[in-house]
Amino acid sequence: MSEVRVVASFTDEEQCVHALERLLADGVRPRVFSPIPSEKINHALYLKRSHVRGWVLTGGIFGALSGFAITLGTSYEWGLNAGGKPIASIPPYLIIVFELMILCGGIAGVLGFFSNARVPALDPIEGYSNHFSGDRFGIMVICDEAEGGKMETLLKESGAAEVTSETLYSAELSPGHAAH
Amino acid sequence: MAAAAPTAIAPTYTDIDRQVRSVLAPGGLQYWAWICFCAFFVCIGASLWANQIYRGLGVSGLKQPTMWAVYITNFVFWVGIAHSGTLISAILFLFRTRWRTAVYRLAETMTVFAVLTAGLFPVIHLGRPWFFYWLLPYPNERSLQPDFRSPLVWDAFAVSTYLTISTLFLFMGLIPDVANARDAAKGWRKTFYSIVSMGWQGTDRQWRHFSMAYLLLAGFATPLVISVHSVVSWDFAMAQLPGWHSTIFAPYFVAGAIFSGVAMVLTLLIPIRKIMGLEDLITPWHLDNLAKVILLTSLVITYSYTCESFMVWYTHDPFEVVTFNQRYFGPQGYLFWVMVLCNCLIPLLLFSPRVRINPVWLFIISLFVNVGMWTERFVIIAGSLATNTEPSQWHFFTPSITEIFITVGSFAWFLMLFSLFARFLPIISMTELKEGIRYLREALRDNYRRAA
Repeated sequence: MSEVRVVASFTDEEQCVHALERLLADGVRPRVFSPIPSEKINHALYLKRSHVRGWVLTGGIFGALSGFAITLGTSYEWGLNAGGKPIASIPPYLIIVFELMILCGGIAGVLGFFSNARVPALDPIEGYSNHFSGDRFGIMVICDEAEGGKMETLLKESGAAEVTSETLYSAELSPGHAAH
Repeated sequence: MAAAAPTAIAPTYTDIDRQVRSVLAPGGLQYWAWICFCAFFVCIGASLWANQIYRGLGVSGLKQPTMWAVYITNFVFWVGIAHSGTLISAILFLFRTRWRTAVYRLAETMTVFAVLTAGLFPVIHLGRPWFFYWLLPYPNERSLQPDFRSPLVWDAFAVSTYLTISTLFLFMGLIPDVANARDAAKGWRKTFYSIVSMGWQGTDRQWRHFSMAYLLLAGFATPLVISVHSVVSWDFAMAQLPGWHSTIFAPYFVAGAIFSGVAMVLTLLIPIRKIMGLEDLITPWHLDNLAKVILLTSLVITYSYTCESFMVWYTHDPFEVVTFNQRYFGPQGYLFWVMVLCNCLIPLLLFSPRVRINPVWLFIISLFVNVGMWTERFVIIAGSLATNTEPSQWHFFTPSITEIFITVGSFAWFLMLFSLFARFLPIISMTELKEGIRYLREALRDNYRRAA
């Protein structure tokens, strides 16, 4: 059986969230597009916290350890005694440690974002409308053809400004877009 | 006019998009004439630097005892200018300050270009600039590494980290806005924006990870911005020179950096607001809050000057007393009073709410602050070196033509980069303005009531 892609656009965030809640109550897992980051949408979708935190923590620890390794390692590699001072002076080295912690943590955070958000997106999602980066919130559902009409009705009832429907054939379906 | 009022005071997402995208329209003859004007001075500065490399550092006028003067002044000044960008974009983001949304992109852009400009000066100041990489942790032929106890090495790490993190922060924030511009663009601009936005579609997955990464970058940038100017201040405070060796330098420099940086934000913001017709997005509410930051940091700076002078008087250290006497009443004492006038007295006008929302007054005050803060750096750096502990060596420094035009070239370089950015990439964050659209509407309503 073929499937349909139903895309609804909303001018209002609240209506979008309302539609989302109704879809989720029906056991449908939609894809949402929005021009702004929305706490309400995240809350409605029960999204887990991002894994980017782990990337940043790992990067920060790696940077701090690298800072210690570079400063202490190079000091002991050439143990130059300058006026009886310690070969390795921890307080000034902490500045290098701090800077490298920030540097590696920040870079890891951006890489984590790229990796988790699938950016750069070389295979953009079909169904995206140019309005979704500007003034509209979008909901996309891929479902069986038999349920397409029901989805359209539900989205229109929730306040969608526009609902479009497109039949997909098996060759067009991508594995990441399953609706249910 | 009456019919236009409801739209003007209640902008929608579409209004915000339209206004910000209008800035991205192709530049006219005047715009390119301005770019050529800046490029001309950049070329003059570059030629004089080439001449300095060929003939030696002597042409710059640097000589004992003032071996750090205009170039290092420019370095500290530009690093300072950079700081307000991170203050507005990162620190105020963490505090969820609403007025930052309209101005943070401009401030963050300024940060990146100011750090790029600052980074030129330690290299220009080198006798053999092609060996600039000797500051990096790279062993020489005898396996000797740089001395990690040296503030100059701290500087190399701090400033390069700051440039990297600021650039990433700017780039991250740009992605959704460039995607917005991509969706309305045609021709080569569409291709350009498609590459920069990297296929961003604003899906729930993308926003979830974006928000977390942005928050954590802001969290990292906040201590970084404090550390960078502290490290820059330690270039001086770690030395035993009277006028430099002080424990208050780190907070004193950080406050000064924010002070000068916010002034530079206003210097850039006010003409752009007028020329690009962005009065509905950058309202008197935004100007008022920026002015309050200037006023606050001006008071901190005044306190720092007073504290510094008090410490000299209280300790009775003869070298410090002589240095500060020369600073106030010596042959170049007028520079100190110029800086007091520009940094301590003129900003007091900002106690007046009318001045704080008047773009012309704000622009004039911001220019005075820029002059005052550059002078402050020069007084601290060149003035202190001129009166070291050996009176027989004393020599008050006067900038040479080479230094003056390289400085002018650096301003032209900064303004040229900034102007190019403003025409090709969104200088105002559409995403964040939309997030805080309620506050923008309130500000416009207040403005409308005031005007009525």
